[in-house]
Amino acid sequence: MFSKILIANRGEIALRVIRSCREMGIATVAVYSDSDIKALHKIEADEAVYIGLSEPSQSYLNIDKIIDAAKQTGSQAVHPGYGFLSENADFADRCKREELVFIGPPANVIRNLGDKITARQIMQESGVPVIPGMSEEAADPDTWIQNADQIGYPVLIKASAGGGGKGMRVVHSSDGLVESCWAASREAEAAFGSGVIFMEKYLEKSRHVEIQILADSQGNAIHLLERECSIQRRHQKIIEETPSPALNPELRNAMGKAAVQAAKASGYVNAGTVEFILDTDNQFYFLEVNTRLQVEHPITEMITGVDLVREQLHVAANLPLTLNQQDIEGRGHSIECRIYAEDPENEFFPSPGKIIFLKEPSGPGIRNDCGVYSGFEVPVEYDPILSKLVVHASTREQAIQKMIQALKSYAVLGVKTSIPFLIDVLSHHAFSEGDTYTDFIDTYFQGWKQETKGLEIAAIVYAAHAMIPKKNTLESDVTQLTPWQTLGNWKAY
Amino acid sequence: MEYQLNINKERQQLTMTPKEEGQYEICIGEASHNAGIEWISEHILHLTIDGKQSTAYVADGPDGKIIMIDGQVWFVEDQGTAARKQRCSSGQKTPTEVRPPMPAVVSQVLVEKGNAVKAGQGVIVVSAMKMETTLTAPFDGIVENINASVGDKVTPKQILVDITENKAGE
Repeated sequence: MFSKILIANRGEIALRVIRSCREMGIATVAVYSDSDIKALHKIEADEAVYIGLSEPSQSYLNIDKIIDAAKQTGSQAVHPGYGFLSENADFADRCKREELVFIGPPANVIRNLGDKITARQIMQESGVPVIPGMSEEAADPDTWIQNADQIGYPVLIKASAGGGGKGMRVVHSSDGLVESCWAASREAEAAFGSGVIFMEKYLEKSRHVEIQILADSQGNAIHLLERECSIQRRHQKIIEETPSPALNPELRNAMGKAAVQAAKASGYVNAGTVEFILDTDNQFYFLEVNTRLQVEHPITEMITGVDLVREQLHVAANLPLTLNQQDIEGRGHSIECRIYAEDPENEFFPSPGKIIFLKEPSGPGIRNDCGVYSGFEVPVEYDPILSKLVVHASTREQAIQKMIQALKSYAVLGVKTSIPFLIDVLSHHAFSEGDTYTDFIDTYFQGWKQETKGLEIAAIVYAAHAMIPKKNTLESDVTQLTPWQTLGNWKAY
Repeated sequence: MEYQLNINKERQQLTMTPKEEGQYEICIGEASHNAGIEWISEHILHLTIDGKQSTAYVADGPDGKIIMIDGQVWFVEDQGTAARKQRCSSGQKTPTEVRPPMPAVVSQVLVEKGNAVKAGQGVIVVSAMKMETTLTAPFDGIVENINASVGDKVTPKQILVDITENKAGE
């Protein structure tokens, strides 16, 4: 096992990796930019190396600086987290050349699966069902029009080199197809450095269900059940759960098998996720493979009891899997809500700034992977995720109630968050009915505004804050009063 | 004491009168309530209103107070302060200045000093948290000054591009 690892990431995921390393007795090295001088991940690691300006290309995306930091600290391996360099095959190659273990799949696997067109080809060749679509690159309008006609409208234009909603466009007819392709291509070029786009059939009402896979360097591969990720806005997930309300044991087995097949067909090693689209007939189609640990991995950990980061480190250390497929059992139900610094009443515009006050929820079955704290200045340069709030309960209904209560006891002042919005989503009848398709937010929550019930109490609180001095807080009453403090004029402050 | 408030842009009035220690009488609209209120710590207030308990989280923000109760967020300001701020600003409803809507980083400057621009023309691109927004000229005019360069961190308080309006007849 490694004795020292560098985490090439920031925020909540860097902290989460540091935690598992600590439990395993592995020393940790954090890297940080100007915005993160007081960040939790930097403070909590055993060592921290400054790597540059806040702008990602100068720091978290700067391969040379990260490699230098690893070498100067004597790190043996690098955990890339998610986003940033986690799916950058060049980075994986460079680590190998520098004799650093990259905690993830081999570079060529990242390269193949990272190109969505190649990934589709690999899947088709090994009998994994794929969505009808283009399987070859094309950059000319005539081929685009031809392909779209063949696939059948509506079509979804996607970036071959990336995800997260960038470079994606839905086109319902041939008018505007070519312009949409060019626009998507430009967006993809800006976001991922490659303007290559392709097209798939767009399934109007579909579910996004993904399977967690884990493979070692000795050819063993297993799956760790599914995650349902259909609640999305701007093609980005905000609520995930497991088990999926749409799956029965047969479908789960079939999809799990297909995912393991996909892993083996692509030579996969380490943790990854095979994403599928489920149509209204419960037919599943391969979407893509994410060759890294995903944001929503905690819900899988909650129902299986497996620490996925620990497993990643084992595999990276060339150890065989300690788990068989039969060992993987899901118990109960888990839900995750991503808490972003954003304004749900204004198109979910990011809301950076200083967190004046933060109080996290806690209690049985509540886990909050949080990268921020009271007083932290949320930077403008990065993804605005503050934390991932995860619950685990015996049944889905109980998990929903537990999540609603956890959200209600989560306080964040200073930046706007999606907390009030998430409470309304989870309270909606369609959610409790399991009616979770990728058009959920558009269907039920377009133009959402927070309810005004509760306004009167807010008025009272304002008045109280303005009127009542804070001198008599309970804090000053319960400080440990020793006889020295109760004598004479001494007060406890 | 009487308060005239804007709560998430809705008007609300109340009066609050201290009674004995920690107890207050509150009149809102037609109704009157008894409230027990005490501070737990700097940002945490505990209330008992007509026998029902609540915990509220409060902080002073730039434009009033930020209050969170049971997962709902309220932005509350005093109507008097709000009115004064309105008078101090240009008083025009439509934006007449090129300001970023949130703290951001300048990613592209699209014009130069001296350029003529038309209303709605993109003049500067800013990005925050991986989202890009193009800010546009509020009216036809000439670019007087560019106050930020690529890579600068900017806030909504800053005017990024000065544009002199072309008045008719000039």
